[in-house]
Amino acid sequence: MKKKIGIVFLCIFSLSCSSDLDFNQVNDLKLEPVVVTNLATFDVQAHQFVDGGVEQTVSGDLMDFDVFKESFFDENLTRADFFFEYNNTINRGFRINIFFVDANNAAIYTIPFNIPAYSGTQNLVTKTEIFQNVKLDLLKKTSKVAFVVTLLPGPALSENSLGSLKLRSSATLYFVVE
Amino acid sequence: MRKTVLLFIFFVAFSCFSQNRQILYNFTSTPQSLLTNPGSDVKYNWFVGIPLLSGISTNVGSSGFSVYDLFADNGVDFNVKLRNVVFSTSRNDKVSINEQLEIFSGGFKLGDWQEGSYVSFGMYQEMDVFTYVPKDFAILALDGNQPHLGKVFDLGDLTTRGEMLSVFHFGIHKNVNEELILGARAKIYSSIFNVSSTKNSGYFYTIQGTNSIYEQVISSDMLVNTSGFTNYIDNYAGNVNSDIMKKAFLGGNLGLGLDLGLTYYPRKNVQFTASLIDIGFISHTKEFQSYSYKGYYKAEGLTPDFIAGNTNDLVQEFEDAIPLDTLNYKYTTWRPLKFNSSIQYSFGDGRDSECNCLGDNEMVYKNSVGAQLFAMSAPRSPLMALTAYYRRRFFDSLEMKATYTVDSFSSKNIGLGLSTTIGKVNFYVLADNLLEYQDISKANSLSFQLGFNIIFPDKNTPD
Repeated sequence: MKKKIGIVFLCIFSLSCSSDLDFNQVNDLKLEPVVVTNLATFDVQAHQFVDGGVEQTVSGDLMDFDVFKESFFDENLTRADFFFEYNNTINRGFRINIFFVDANNAAIYTIPFNIPAYSGTQNLVTKTEIFQNVKLDLLKKTSKVAFVVTLLPGPALSENSLGSLKLRSSATLYFVVE
Repeated sequence: MRKTVLLFIFFVAFSCFSQNRQILYNFTSTPQSLLTNPGSDVKYNWFVGIPLLSGISTNVGSSGFSVYDLFADNGVDFNVKLRNVVFSTSRNDKVSINEQLEIFSGGFKLGDWQEGSYVSFGMYQEMDVFTYVPKDFAILALDGNQPHLGKVFDLGDLTTRGEMLSVFHFGIHKNVNEELILGARAKIYSSIFNVSSTKNSGYFYTIQGTNSIYEQVISSDMLVNTSGFTNYIDNYAGNVNSDIMKKAFLGGNLGLGLDLGLTYYPRKNVQFTASLIDIGFISHTKEFQSYSYKGYYKAEGLTPDFIAGNTNDLVQEFEDAIPLDTLNYKYTTWRPLKFNSSIQYSFGDGRDSECNCLGDNEMVYKNSVGAQLFAMSAPRSPLMALTAYYRRRFFDSLEMKATYTVDSFSSKNIGLGLSTTIGKVNFYVLADNLLEYQDISKANSLSFQLGFNIIFPDKNTPD
C-alpha cells in the first residue's frame, strides 16, 4: 500500500509538465502610450491691450518650456501634435507668433497665426502642428517659448473696448518605450 | 534595465497571498504542523529537524493570470499577451509569493510520561510578497490617457508589500485534560528588508474642458515605506552577505509576535482546532526611508500673461504641486495575521488486530474527514480559503492527507500530503493544485513543502 501511494506521488511529479515558456520575451516589451494634456490657454480682454489710454501694438510673454528636454521625453517621445484654437471677439485682427527658443536664446522654430478681426460671427482659427523626426529634435532642444501678439491695423482700442482673444491649445504626445 | 524595473514593478504591483498551508495544518505526524497551530495535538518525546532540511516551503499564487498567459512560447507577441492579461484582470487580483526555510528546529516533552507538556523552538527565514494588480497604472503605461478620456484612474491601485525576515520562536503546548490542548508560541522577528505601500489613494482624470481643451487633474496621496535598503543605495563598501547574516540573527529591525492555538475533543472521534498565527508587529527603526508623493495639480498648460508677464514653468509647477519627497521616519508594520480552524470526524479502528499486551489500548482511528477555514489579513479585504479533507493512516508509519480547497486563486485545488516515519526519521512532502501539474505553467497557484525530522515518539507508558 505504502509503495502504491509512493508510486502515485512519484507519477504525479514525474508526469507533470509545462508548456514551453520563453521568459526572454520580456525584451520585446514595447509600451506605446499616447498622452493628451493642455499646452497653453489664455483669454485676454480687449481693454488689456490698452495701457494708460494708449493701445499697445505688440505684447508678449517669454516662459520656461524645457519639459521636452527631460530625459524621459528625449528618449521616448516619437511624435508630438500641438493643437491650437483661437477665438477672437475683438474687432481687430492679430498676428501671433509662437517662438521656440533654445538655451542660447535663439528662436529655432516659429508657429505663426493670422487671426482676422471679429465681424459679429464666431470665427475659430485652428491649426495642428505635427512634430516628428528633425522637427521633433527642435522641440527637444527648446528651453523657452515666447508668445508675441501683434495688433493688425484697425480702429483703435480703448479702455471700453469689448471682446477678448482666447486661446485653447492641447498637446498629444506619442511615446514608444522599449 | 528599464524593462527589468518595469517588469519588477508590474509583478510587485500584484500582491502576494497564499500563505494557506491547508495540507500541513493539523497534519500532526509532522512537528512542523505546530507552526500553523501551536496547540496542535503533536506528540513526541523529542524531535529535531535536520538543519536546513526540516522545512522547505514555497507558495506562489496569482489570481488573475498564469505564467503561461504572459510567457507562453506560442508565437503571439508578448505585448499582445501583456495587454490581454492587464485587461482581463481586476484591481483586486493579486499575486503572492511566500517562501520559508527552516534553519533549525527541535522540541521535547517536559516531565515524565504522565505529563502532557511539550516545548518546541526553532528559527526560520521567510520571504513574503503580496501585491494587487496595479491595473490603472498598467493601463496608463500601455495606452496613455488619450484612449480613456473620462476615465478616473485610481492611484490606490498600487498596493504592495514585501518582506524578508527571520523568525526565532519558542512554543509550548499542554494537554490540559483529555479533551483540551492549549498552545502558545512567542516569536522574535528580525526584518532584513521591508517594502510596504498599502494605503495609497488618489486619482487622475482628463475630460473635455471649456476654457481649456481638457480639464485634467491629478490628486495623489501615496507613500512607500522601506527599511533595510538605505545602506546599499550609494557608496556601499561593506559585504552584503555578512550584512544579511547579521540582520537575520537579530541585527535587523526587530519585532515581537505571538501564536495561539487549541485542539478540543468534544468526543473521542470529533476534533475541533483553531489558531491565530503572527499576532505581531515589526518596528522599523533602522535603515528606514520613505517616499511620499502627495499633492493636487490641475494641468492648464502654459498661461502667458501679456500684461504683467509671467514665468510659469510647467515642470517646476508640477513638482511644487506634487513633490516627490524622501522622508526619514520610523514606522511599524503588522505581520499578516492568519486564522485557521478545523473540525474533524474520525472513524475506523486502526489498532492492530492482535491483543495489545502492553495495555496500550488507546483507540487509534484509521480515517478522518474534516473541513478547514483559513483567513489572512490583507491590505484591502481578508483572504479566505475553505478546505475539505480526508486523512488516512496506513500502518503506524505512514499518514496521508488529501485536500480540496476553494479560494480566490482556484476553485478546484486538490492537494496531497504524505508523512512517513521510517525508524526515527520522519519525511514529509506536501503539494497542492495537483490537477495543474498537467501543465504547471497554467496554474494560478502552487505550493510545495517538504522536510526531514528525527522524532523520538512519545511514550505514554513508563519505560
